[in-house]
Amino acid sequence: MTIGRVVATEALPAGPHQFHFWTATDTSLGIGAIVRVDAEDGRTVYAVVVDGRAYSDVATPLHEVVAAEGDPAGAPAPTRRTEVRLWTAAVLRHEPEEPVQPVPLAQVRLATQEDVEMALRMDGYVRGEQPTGIPVGVYRAGGLTAPVSLDAEFLLGPESAHFNISGVSGLATKTSAAEFMLASIFQRLPSHKGSVAAVCFNVKGPDLCFLDQPGELTEGDRELYSVLDVEPRPFDRVQYFAPFKPDGVNLNTLRSHPDLVGSVQPLVWGLREVLNYHEVLLNRDDIDAKADAFLDFLADRVVEKEFRDDWGGTHRVRSFGELERLFRGIFDGLEQAGRSDVWRTHHIATIRKVRNRLINISTRCKGLVTDDGSVNDLPFGAFEDRAVYVLDVSGMDQLGQDLVFTRVVSMLREHLERGDLGVEHVVVFVDELNKYAPADGPDTYVRKMLLDISERGRYLGLVLFAAQQFRSQVHRRIAGNAGTVVFGRMDMDELATPGYQVLSPATKIKLATLPKGELMVRHPHFTQPVFVRFPRPAVMSGPAGVRQYPPAADVPFEDAVVRQLAALDRRVSPARIKDSIAGRREEDVRRALLATKRARPEDVMGFFTASLGRAVAREQVRPEGSATTPLRQVEDPYAT
Amino acid sequence: MGLSGGAAVTLTGSTRHRLHEALRRAGGTTRAGSPLTHVPPPVASPFGSASYVEGEAIRAIDVGGSAPPPEGAAFLDGIQRYAVEGRFGLVPVVRGHVAAATMRRDGDRLSVADHQSEELIVVPLERLTPDQRQALADTGVPLVDCEVGERAHPIVDVQLAARAVERRREELETAVASALLASEPECWLVVDGALGGLAHMLDAGPRVLGLIKSHETQFLDGPDLEIAVTLQEGHRSSVFARRLGKRGQVYTWYLRLWPWEEHELLHGLVRIERPATEAALTEATAVSRWLLAERAPLSAPDGRWDRLLYPIRQVEMFLRAQAGGWW
Repeated sequence: MTIGRVVATEALPAGPHQFHFWTATDTSLGIGAIVRVDAEDGRTVYAVVVDGRAYSDVATPLHEVVAAEGDPAGAPAPTRRTEVRLWTAAVLRHEPEEPVQPVPLAQVRLATQEDVEMALRMDGYVRGEQPTGIPVGVYRAGGLTAPVSLDAEFLLGPESAHFNISGVSGLATKTSAAEFMLASIFQRLPSHKGSVAAVCFNVKGPDLCFLDQPGELTEGDRELYSVLDVEPRPFDRVQYFAPFKPDGVNLNTLRSHPDLVGSVQPLVWGLREVLNYHEVLLNRDDIDAKADAFLDFLADRVVEKEFRDDWGGTHRVRSFGELERLFRGIFDGLEQAGRSDVWRTHHIATIRKVRNRLINISTRCKGLVTDDGSVNDLPFGAFEDRAVYVLDVSGMDQLGQDLVFTRVVSMLREHLERGDLGVEHVVVFVDELNKYAPADGPDTYVRKMLLDISERGRYLGLVLFAAQQFRSQVHRRIAGNAGTVVFGRMDMDELATPGYQVLSPATKIKLATLPKGELMVRHPHFTQPVFVRFPRPAVMSGPAGVRQYPPAADVPFEDAVVRQLAALDRRVSPARIKDSIAGRREEDVRRALLATKRARPEDVMGFFTASLGRAVAREQVRPEGSATTPLRQVEDPYAT
Repeated sequence: MGLSGGAAVTLTGSTRHRLHEALRRAGGTTRAGSPLTHVPPPVASPFGSASYVEGEAIRAIDVGGSAPPPEGAAFLDGIQRYAVEGRFGLVPVVRGHVAAATMRRDGDRLSVADHQSEELIVVPLERLTPDQRQALADTGVPLVDCEVGERAHPIVDVQLAARAVERRREELETAVASALLASEPECWLVVDGALGGLAHMLDAGPRVLGLIKSHETQFLDGPDLEIAVTLQEGHRSSVFARRLGKRGQVYTWYLRLWPWEEHELLHGLVRIERPATEAALTEATAVSRWLLAERAPLSAPDGRWDRLLYPIRQVEMFLRAQAGGWW
């Protein structure tokens, strides 16, 4: 349908990359619409509308004042002034590609579905023998609804990778966009592209706690799913991990409702898991060359090895508790020997500093890090295709979140490098990227690791899906390495920063007023940003999940054990559990509970009891005879 | 600022000030004059004859402000362009472009009702040889003959050819007007200019208005003329009749659209012509009120904005846009 004509003047010429056209005043055209221009010589130009202006033939507002005799409420003029709708369009594609010439002064038509494919170069990857299109949303303009797909080669690698989402909180639907994209990838990634899993860090509230539960969808959402050929269903393979609370038995997650908590596995790490990432936990001021050398000594020579100190003691350090015993042995030995302040070339001050920092970690990250060496981790090496692994770290402080994030991503990278993770691609979703990779501030280990992923991840299949409010506050190279960038509702102050100078004023205004569910997408195949609408994810939102499955309140130790075992097997008797743990040390009970949750046996009670081991009867030591004579009771006149 | 420059400005300002004071003291009017350098060309027909229709003398009538225009109105205008493309000896060969259009107003929106344009070659055929005529005829462009003077004159001959172009433009205007009134006899048609050129339109119906912006030909004299050209804003003159030679007469009256104080005498003054019918007389005030409403939108920045109705300007702009860079 012809809707306009290209117009070119000396002041507003038509170029090979941008041109102007006019339309009737009652056009359905808008910013973001895709149009095509057909030249008489067979060339076709596809373009997206990036700006629009309307003006009449009035030369100055004063003329209107004079004509209305100064009365704006006066009778309207009998004749409406001639108006023009003048649009600016940015070229998406020339067909044929060469020679690149100015856009012909010809009629402008609204794009059809085939035109949208051509304009966005989707014809190269949504069809053919091995298509790699991943639906991202629908393009809507002038009554046309057409699916828009990203190229998996440029979304998950190896050509380019990563997916970055920006937008203000609450309105930009960043989490929803990421959830929909994950569903789209899981359902539409072709088999020839291999397997894929996702690791999601839930860093705030209950956002990602109900990905396995169905969400409410409108009829409009279902239509969008239909157009995009994606099934509206929740993720069917989701594994949840959350650390304990400091009590070591209540899980630190909002997914603690009795109906759901059984599917949450505790995330518990020991000394070895932490020591390899000590850079995260110890700040710059803590670590110098001497401390670093001593930490390396511990990691290489001490931890999980038979180690003899210089005073006849033998240590096998597997936990923070055993590490503390080693340090105590060293300090006591040095003190008793009265020797110099040096032990195995390490100064005692250095040893004390490292000891203080390390031992304190189990306090600072209590719930995640245990003293007793028991471990429950993600199934590195046995990741499943199309599975989502959610790590709920929302209840942890920044330090703990940094530790979890760094270690998990490092482990993913190591396994992907070795090719033994279990899947070929892993999508890592993290919100608040500006917190982990700020544009300014100290060069942290987390930021260095993110930079490494953003630059090398596409070769490994390690894909970063990241979201943040302000892209300008994210490290420039990390943000810049994202092959696909989407924007939801944006803040005007953010749009005023230099990173958005390439956008037209109208596009910025549209971004600042974008409704929920609409995004602007930049993708390597799209030479200009494109606006798309995506459906709500078919999973339960965090707030809805909390309403339907209110988190359970923390309970005393015994009740917490009962609740967690009952979540694994409803047949187990609370009384029997309580009997079995009565009088047992809490750390033993925790270890047995962890083992049971990890094993998920058929006979939960039997396995738990077996893991507890035999109870060692407590010996009541009675004083043999009275060694002291009780004081005689005297009246104390000052007693109150 | 130099002494001499400052002194000159002061003297000029002082002269104007003294002159304005003198005018006011003696009962005259003043205006913000603009400097001119050329003597204006002589007016071809400065005077015409008229007769009273509404009363026995010309008087000023307050029309009572503006009023909404009638439903269904159309506006007509035409344009012409010409160029001397060459000569056979002294004989000019003129290529012309003429066009006319009507725009109808529905609600407050204008749309083109009819549009006709034509390209033509104007030449005094009797001064050409058969070969020269044939050569021009072979171009396929219509050949139009024009008058010749008693003696060849490089400038006058071009003026005579231009008149032929003008006549053809009037014919086109008549054609588009006839087409509109034939299809919509109840529609009002406002024509840019006098109805004299559209002589046979006078019988087309009473709802044809000619709107004259230039006042080169004056039909009134003495106190009648002074009353007519010094009308206050929103006033009209009484209706009088002007002769069209053998073609009968039209009824006409003056109307002041904008105040002329501090402007030239003819600022905002238009003359309206209508076929000489009883309705023209009885509806003169109503039509005047409608035309007062047509002051908005202003047709500025056109220099004739004080007398040019916006819809007429739109027709003219449409024709110019259609002609493009005709050459």
